Amino acid sequence: MTDYWLSKLFYDLLTPAMTARWREDRGAVLDDYPLSPAMRRAVLEDDIAAMAPRVNAYLLRFYCGICGMKDDEFIARLRAMKPEAAATHG
Amino acid sequence: MAELVGAFAASHAPLIARDWERLSPGAKRTIAGAFDEMGRRLAALAPDVLVMLSPDHWVNFFLDNLPSFCVGVGPEHDGPPEPFVARVFPHRTLPGHAAFARHLVDTAFARGFDPAISYRARLDHGFCIPLWRMGIEPLPAIVPIFVNELEAPMPGVARCFDWGRLIAAAVESYPEDLRVAIVGSGGLSHSIGEPTMGDIDEPFDHACIALFTRAGEAEIAATLEDWLPRTGNGGHEVRSWVIAHAAMGGKGFALIDYVPVPEVYVGCGFAEWKGAA
Repeated sequence: MTDYWLSKLFYDLLTPAMTARWREDRGAVLDDYPLSPAMRRAVLEDDIAAMAPRVNAYLLRFYCGICGMKDDEFIARLRAMKPEAAATHG
Repeated sequence: MAELVGAFAASHAPLIARDWERLSPGAKRTIAGAFDEMGRRLAALAPDVLVMLSPDHWVNFFLDNLPSFCVGVGPEHDGPPEPFVARVFPHRTLPGHAAFARHLVDTAFARGFDPAISYRARLDHGFCIPLWRMGIEPLPAIVPIFVNELEAPMPGVARCFDWGRLIAAAVESYPEDLRVAIVGSGGLSHSIGEPTMGDIDEPFDHACIALFTRAGEAEIAATLEDWLPRTGNGGHEVRSWVIAHAAMGGKGFALIDYVPVPEVYVGCGFAEWKGAA
């Protein structure tokens, strides 16, 4: 099921100003988004397996790029997920 | 009277722009060659208007407002917001064709379609990579049609056939002389942000090519509806090809090139639908 606020966070981070703010203080940015405690923790811990089922796969990729994750690492983490953790958003 | 002079389709992998200088010589040669050939053929048709079909990659739309189809009806559109595309594509704005776009929308509503409209759309890499690589200068007027190919629920393949016919009808009924061409942007197989990211589904790609070459509408729709949930999420962009195919009456498909390019994660396909002329 889609997590609107997680998706909104990733979407908002596509703007340069938000990207800069994110890189400066993730916690402060997260305070503006009413994520569940579990999802907030998943974001702070870069837990892709927890985030992937809740957000569009393209947004997840953009987000990981913003966080500086190279494609090789991103792909490795995706491939390490259990099948049921994969996004189903098309 | 306006005339539909041809249609094309091409992949738009963002890494074609982002990593162009780092691609292997073979990949660059293949991709550049296919786009050059497409550009040459498109330029020979001398279109006044290019109807372009592409998904929006979370640039204009978000989950709080996500149309299945949106037509850019403004006299001008904004260029790509992605820095890696803006770095190589020189246009900060792109010309639109407000009159034809409005006629297209009016035709749509008269025929039972309800597209969203945008008076000023931002055209991301889905639109601008093909334009950049084809090297069409000056740009013809662009009428963008955003097709939701990114987030479920997406329009069915049969509806995409309807959209192709709608575009053809709008061209046919436009009262002024206008040469209109279509570019369907996206596909073929790729997988982004999924566990299969980086995989290219060559059987799917070859099946698509075979379908457009020889199959009828019902077979194309049934096969794609069956296969799309099982291939990578980027495969959904083949809807852009379906719309182009339908606009050309389901005839005249000619493959320009198909090459799986792992460096850009995409089964890169390039095609033309040749018109009766």
